[in-house]
Amino acid sequence: MGVGMVGEAHVPMLPAPPSVVWRATVNGRLEELLAPSNAILLDVLRDRVGQLGVKRGCDLGTCGCCAVLIDGEPRLSCMTLAGDVAGAAITTVEGLADGHHLAPIQACFAEHGGSQCGFCTPGFLVTAQALLDRTTNPSASEIAEAIEGNLCRCTGYQPIIDSIKAAAEVLRGEAERAEPRTMPHADPHPAGQDEPILPPGHAR
Amino acid sequence: MMLTPPFNLHHPTTVDEACALAARLLEEGRPFDWVAGGTDLLPNYKWHIETKPDVISLARIEGLDAIETDRIGCMVRLHDLAISEVAHPLIATAASKVASSLIRRSATLGGNLCLDTRCFWFNQSEDWRRSIDWCHKADCGSGAECRVIPNQNTLCVATYQGDLAPSLLVLNATVELIGPSGARTLPLRDFFQLDGITRNVLKPGEFLLMVHLPEDAAKRRGAYRKLRVRESWDFPEAGVAASWVPGDVSSLRLASTGLESIPGVHDALVADHGDWTLPEGRRELAEAVKGAVKPVNNTALPPRYRKAMVSVLAARAMGDLMEEV
Ligand SMILES: Cc1cc2nc3c(=O)[nH]c(=O)nc-3n(C[C@H](O)[C@H](O)[C@H](O)COP(=O)(O)OP(=O)(O)OC[C@H]3O[C@@H](n4cnc5c(N)ncnc54)[C@H](O)[C@@H]3O)c2cc1C
Ligand code: SF4
Ligand code: FES
Ligand code: FES
Repeated sequence: MGVGMVGEAHVPMLPAPPSVVWRATVNGRLEELLAPSNAILLDVLRDRVGQLGVKRGCDLGTCGCCAVLIDGEPRLSCMTLAGDVAGAAITTVEGLADGHHLAPIQACFAEHGGSQCGFCTPGFLVTAQALLDRTTNPSASEIAEAIEGNLCRCTGYQPIIDSIKAAAEVLRGEAERAEPRTMPHADPHPAGQDEPILPPGHAR
Repeated sequence: MMLTPPFNLHHPTTVDEACALAARLLEEGRPFDWVAGGTDLLPNYKWHIETKPDVISLARIEGLDAIETDRIGCMVRLHDLAISEVAHPLIATAASKVASSLIRRSATLGGNLCLDTRCFWFNQSEDWRRSIDWCHKADCGSGAECRVIPNQNTLCVATYQGDLAPSLLVLNATVELIGPSGARTLPLRDFFQLDGITRNVLKPGEFLLMVHLPEDAAKRRGAYRKLRVRESWDFPEAGVAASWVPGDVSSLRLASTGLESIPGVHDALVADHGDWTLPEGRRELAEAVKGAVKPVNNTALPPRYRKAMVSVLAARAMGDLMEEV
């Protein structure tokens, strides 16, 4: 074991953690990859699986930007050990839409100003979807409780609450879903020649 | 982004396997931590606070997540406790006030009881802590002083800010601990141990397996009041739980959290004071609870305010008990 310096004191340097095979279903696709034993789910989803919709905000559990559905439940990927959820079905914001048709919650966020700068939006969409999966008639306090762990610095929250209520109405069949203002794109994220080539393992 | 420190994560699937693994690591002189939901351990690890080369996860062990009226497994998630119809209503209420709905879906009962103590000189990044030349709790071998009570490096007064302990204390819960040298059960009030570094009586290799509730707990009516900065997810800056067997004035129990390195049990004060079912008696008893706690300046709100609020919270919690069911 090597010895490194921290302040005045000598502390032993720790060996790199071993790699283990990590398998899980991410947005309906089986992923199988080698990840270090200490991997955090957020890092695996972003850097290895390539789901960049999972945002790293605080990395400490306070902002909700990193929320994903794990077996249908909204949880913080920055505070989840990848190894603890191996084998689970994980849904990120990328998995909400049906192909290139936005889910009602996404269309309503766009329509009602639920998203401004957009950084918090993936987390809100995922937590709101989990709420709507449980009930299509959420009360004001149920909405407040569902999004209490998500921070937004732009909207002031009311447009987000309006968006969730509107999506609930669509899901109850009481309202038509808004027509998208722009043409849906068959593949908004082409991974082809135009994409910059990044070193393996980083921001892929 | 913060770099997760290197560690080897283990996943035992039975309690016996966990104990055997703990025994083996201890024998080999490899320090380790338990991890349950990780909502307390992982932020501290990302800040490189007291990281260990091995971490044993309790997540894959079968059968630790059962909720029954008289016992609750250590891996029960706070979300499940909060919505449970089986758990005592006081425990469900207290669980619903922990952190945010997102965090409660990972956070566990065992992790809440074994929560590390907190201090604003300590829950900081490694660079930040290096810039103040560390502190006694995580001194990196420097022999640093405590920043809250200076000129000494023998006592850490970091604050215990777990929400569930006071409610379980006023229901007279016991805890079952298990480790390589077997199982033992003790009252929850004897589980916590000063100071902010020691935290509790867990021996190396031991973990908290189960919380047991006595038969009389079901007869008790309880209340929990919590002071926090933001209602959405902040830690308790002070918290008071109360319970009684309705009709029996002498059965009142009071406990507090968020004020010292361990939760406080204030039952002795109840015996020394008059009839708390009257507003005057409640005020007196609440003042006595306030007198019994000594918060220090290491959380978000100043200690004088937290202390003043203890008597408010205690009086309100007792008031809640008086309300019609
Ligand atoms: C933003 C934020 C807000 C929070 N707000 C609150 C709050 O309001 N109230 C509150 O009480 N907490 C709060 N917490 C802290 C934490 O989420 C909870 O206390 C939670 O219950 C901890 O459980 P866990 O399973 O995640 O613990 P872990 O992080 O897994 O473990 C915590 C500690 O206990 C040890 N441990 C875990 N399980 C056991 C066991 N069975 N036996 C022995 N040791 C064990 C671990 O080694 C570790 O030291 C908050 C955390 C965050 C990030
Ligand atoms: S109370 Fe003192 S020793 Fe303990 S964490 Fe805070 S500064 Fe460090
Ligand atoms: S990045 Fe996970 S909660 Fe902020
Ligand atoms: S839209 Fe900018 S943070 Fe929410």
